[in-house]
Amino acid sequence: MNKTIVGLLSFFFLIGCAVRPTDPDELRIYEQNNDPMEPMNRSVFAFNQAAHKHVLSPTIKGYRAVVPDAIRTGIDNFLTNLKQPVYLVNALLQWDWKAAGQITGRFATNTFVGFFGVFDTATDAGIPAPKRDFGQTLAVWGVKNSGPYIVLPLLGPSTVRDTIGLGVDAFADPVDWVLYSQNPWLSYGRTGANGFVKYENMHDLMENMEKNSTDYYATMRSMYQQNRQKEVSDLRGETTEVQAEYDFDFPDDEE
Amino acid sequence: MKKVFAFILGLFFMPALAKAENPAIEFVDNLADKVINTILVADVSRDEKLSRFRKEFTEALDLKNIGQFVLGIYWRKATLEEKDAFLNAFMDFTTKTWADRFDMYQGQKIVFTGVRNAERNQFYVDSTIQNNPPVEVIWRLKQKDNTYRIIDIIIEGVSMAMSYRNEYSAYLQNHGGSVQALADELKQKSDNFKWSDQKE
Repeated sequence: MNKTIVGLLSFFFLIGCAVRPTDPDELRIYEQNNDPMEPMNRSVFAFNQAAHKHVLSPTIKGYRAVVPDAIRTGIDNFLTNLKQPVYLVNALLQWDWKAAGQITGRFATNTFVGFFGVFDTATDAGIPAPKRDFGQTLAVWGVKNSGPYIVLPLLGPSTVRDTIGLGVDAFADPVDWVLYSQNPWLSYGRTGANGFVKYENMHDLMENMEKNSTDYYATMRSMYQQNRQKEVSDLRGETTEVQAEYDFDFPDDEE
Repeated sequence: MKKVFAFILGLFFMPALAKAENPAIEFVDNLADKVINTILVADVSRDEKLSRFRKEFTEALDLKNIGQFVLGIYWRKATLEEKDAFLNAFMDFTTKTWADRFDMYQGQKIVFTGVRNAERNQFYVDSTIQNNPPVEVIWRLKQKDNTYRIIDIIIEGVSMAMSYRNEYSAYLQNHGGSVQALADELKQKSDNFKWSDQKE
């Protein structure tokens, strides 16, 4: 990350902290949201939404109009296949031999049978597709606290732990090392393409959420946190029951 | 002694309990079948689909309890009129939201993998939607007078009730805690409802 961005972020951080509420009920909500930088996050979120509306969404609609479905799937498959090595690194770091085996099998199948990953032969053959990132690895290693919620410019919802994970994954990706050594622009191009395809996959869901939410920011935050929590709990071998155990008790006949 | 008694009682009731585990799955299974066959894949107009969906949705979900849960701390502070206005708008809008979401159904199968008992007559029915990648869906049910009502749907760890609760808390915090304002906002969204692929 370059210096300007770091500088800007720390500036926003200073002006962007929320005030802790004094009301005990509101304080409970505040703590549950785990979002002390909410004002700053909302600014970045607003920026992302503007980018979505004026640049990304029109680009994606154009991409869908011009590039046929089958080719888009091929591009997605190809890029996903190139992510398998860094997934494998994380599966190994998580001591998850089963996932490591599946990822290796998937990579070999799709690379050799699926024409360099353009066809997802592995899924047709019933090989699962675990995704393993360094944010999860940190959690498996014992970093239980995700740290506060963060909205990253263009990349969207994250946490301190997951942002670190994102950085480490970008740095440790074996495919990236190879591409970078050939030509740095190959690496940049791939990063951009990855982001674009990921965004394309999320696009419709995001539009649906936005349309149906009275506070899109809060909806995204809640869903991201819950989903990530489940992913991490599953990897840590904790039961899903624990997560769903919030208070759902109300008097049956209260009017 | 109490424990022993409970154990013996438990032995007697075990077959009954084991059986009682099935009705919860059966309830969700039947519901899913009904929604898929008479609504999602049925060859009827979208307005007709919406009205059929509204009937199933309001019968199967305990929307009143859910509505109460999602308002959280603001439920107690709201007046009777505000509660009514909110519940009506919430029911109407969530019906449309989910009719729209279910409308994207593309023939995926749903497989039930088990049921877990929870406290206070509640059950979790575990299921997987055979999508690529597969989606894990947990149905949280409450049993009352021999019938079940859905009180939450948890998709890949995301509880819908919890998400609504967090969303509305944020909205209310930014609107002076006015449940009426939230009800008006929901009503307005509901009145302006459009199906997803009918934009512009």
